[in-house]
Amino acid sequence: MIEPASLSDFFTIFFASAMVILLGALYALLFAYARIRTVRWLMPLAYLSYAGLFVSTLVLAQAANLLSHPLWATVVGCMLLGYLLAPHGIWHLCVGTHARAETVPAKSS
Amino acid sequence: MSTDQWWASESFWRKTAIWVTGGSFVVLMLLTMDTISQISVGTTRVPAYSVINHRIEYKFDEQRRVQVPVIGAKEPLFGKELNEEEAEALVKLGKLTTQSKNCMNCHTLLGNGAYYAPDLTKAWLDQYWGTKEIREEQMLAFIKDPSDKLHNSMGRRMPKLDITDEEARGVVAFLKWMSSIDTNGFPYNFKSIEQEK
Amino acid sequence: MATPGICDSANLNGGQKLAVKYFIVAITLFGAQVLFGMLAGLQYLYPDFLYGVLDFSVNRMVHINALVVWMLYGFLGSVYWLLEEESQHEVVGLKLGNLIFWVLTAAVTVVVLVYLFVQIGPGKESSIWLINEGREYIEAPRWADIGIVVSVLVVFFNVAATFSKGRYTGIAGVLVLDMLALFGIYLAGMFYTTNISIDQYWWWWVIHLWVEATWEVMVACIMAYGLMKVLGVRRKIVETWLYIEVALMFGSGILGLGHHYFWIGTPEYWFSIGGFFSALEPIPLVAMVVHAVFDAGARHAKNSNHPTMAWLIAHAFGNFFGAGVWGFMHTLPQINLYTHGTQWSASHGHLAFFGAYATIIIAMFYLAVQKWRGDVWMSGELPGNGWKWKWSLGLLNLGMVGMTMSMLVSGYVQSQIERAIEGSSWIGYFAAQGHPWFVQGMWWRELFGVMFTLGFVLLVWDLMTIGRGEKRVLVPAALDE
Repeated sequence: MIEPASLSDFFTIFFASAMVILLGALYALLFAYARIRTVRWLMPLAYLSYAGLFVSTLVLAQAANLLSHPLWATVVGCMLLGYLLAPHGIWHLCVGTHARAETVPAKSS
Repeated sequence: MSTDQWWASESFWRKTAIWVTGGSFVVLMLLTMDTISQISVGTTRVPAYSVINHRIEYKFDEQRRVQVPVIGAKEPLFGKELNEEEAEALVKLGKLTTQSKNCMNCHTLLGNGAYYAPDLTKAWLDQYWGTKEIREEQMLAFIKDPSDKLHNSMGRRMPKLDITDEEARGVVAFLKWMSSIDTNGFPYNFKSIEQEK
Repeated sequence: MATPGICDSANLNGGQKLAVKYFIVAITLFGAQVLFGMLAGLQYLYPDFLYGVLDFSVNRMVHINALVVWMLYGFLGSVYWLLEEESQHEVVGLKLGNLIFWVLTAAVTVVVLVYLFVQIGPGKESSIWLINEGREYIEAPRWADIGIVVSVLVVFFNVAATFSKGRYTGIAGVLVLDMLALFGIYLAGMFYTTNISIDQYWWWWVIHLWVEATWEVMVACIMAYGLMKVLGVRRKIVETWLYIEVALMFGSGILGLGHHYFWIGTPEYWFSIGGFFSALEPIPLVAMVVHAVFDAGARHAKNSNHPTMAWLIAHAFGNFFGAGVWGFMHTLPQINLYTHGTQWSASHGHLAFFGAYATIIIAMFYLAVQKWRGDVWMSGELPGNGWKWKWSLGLLNLGMVGMTMSMLVSGYVQSQIERAIEGSSWIGYFAAQGHPWFVQGMWWRELFGVMFTLGFVLLVWDLMTIGRGEKRVLVPAALDE
């Protein structure tokens, strides 16, 4: 069911997992900031963060022997897709919920 | 922009929150029922208390790629074979003792607890006890009064916890039984005491 | 109207007067937590310190129990704090609420005294009923368990009844159901079984479903109220987002329980369930990041309480790093096999509890003090430029980050030497504990603990004095919803 990590991969795993979460947040932050302030040049940086996340996830998957098992490979796939789409989804929700409740649209600020 | 998306409405998310919570909980309940049946005493994962009448080993399983407990030949604890009820009574005394002496706030059991003293999951199989012939006596003596037994370079000692003879035997029985639980390979790479003839 | 700047209960409504009592006990227990944590930490360095008098097990038990109880007191206080404003109705059973507060506090005092002076009992069920249950975090003896359940049920009915009589808002709905779940789950930890696998199975229900589900939703409710109060966000938005957060937190958190079921005898399918939902658990955090940026951009927030605002920001970061980053670093079973039950867990536990919960309760303390002193101005131009709250904020947060990093180093060494190489044997355990890196980690932890303690002392001093003598009062418009 699982293939325990080997000692030499410990640091890689800790580091890559931390980077997954950090870059995930950085991507979300830059993405949201680029949209709200309409700063165009920030968006490529956001996707650069996601690219970093993508690589980190694969490094993590490799080090933790996730890809050799179909079930764990699926988890990796879900992570890659989920972290890509989550900020988009949440952004739409922000716009949707605020537009409903506020007389002044959010964009005007 | 449109101001009326259904997916952004309060009522949609209220319902979603309720359904997600309820759904997760129902799934958890179903899993719980299945798990409890698999970890009840007397199953392959959690053996009957009378397992203390047998030798317990911890061996590498080629298929699962981790070590698993293996129940071997008859080797009654303290040389006395117990029936199921007697075994349960003894292990129960041991478990109650570990709780009332607050073992878990220095040790870990199955990896849970505090980190000031060694994990007890496989304590029965630990090489610290020397050979299998003297193990039981060593354990009893240690549990009853560990305060004068220095065993590490830091000078960390277990205090004397007023454990009676019978309680100490119970604790050893509990530890032996716990070592037979299939913990999916935890602890990994454990080096067991020599038990072969 | 009372003179501004002086703590005067005339400034508070009935529920808030009761809340202040809860807050005072909470911060006292916070102090106990810090004190006993320092003692236990010192025993790693000097094992003979208090040996046979207050052994590590006793100090550690008081350390973690004080943690659980001060946070519960903080939550109960926060609920009473917002109750009357949110329901627009007086607390229906205020007298009973007060009585229960005193009963609960008396029970907690007795439990702690028994922990300290009786400590252990014989291996009988009576010890579990009267002295100490011996199960991490929920050591409280059974008589106290029953007392706690009865007390919190009274609080629950008080809250539910007040909302029913007054205004039953969305926040009220979530809060009431969450309280019911929070206290209902406690029942799962109130029985004895010899089967340690089943014991730990239910034990995790209490621990995990508290800190990774119901406590989080409790915080979300408090935050929702706080956002309306401090930043004037509209109710409709706040409540929609509360539901979204509930869906995300419970959706990932309830089955996230699986990541505690890797090694306690439970079947292998928990590997994939635990792994999958652990990977989902950071999603609510990502949602908060996006939403916070959106909100900050959509309005030009003015706020009249800088300490509260600063602690809310500390909450956002602490929650993200403590629960998110530190949690995910060692959650997959492939690596958790080595980190489970080492200083890794301690490192994660410290940052997560502090970041996710201590911060928000401290924010509530500052909100309470402001109102208690008659809605005094607590932003810029505080006497001494507000050095006390700023320094305590810095010392507490740096101290915690320092402790966390120190334990991370120790945990790293431990997972390698004790776990991967020696396989958790006795010899392996002590080989790791004696390793210079491990020992240094423990030293640094204690030093940062001193820093944290100074921060705590300053925090108490500040809470007792901030706004004293202040003449400026909030313009009511700043608090308008």
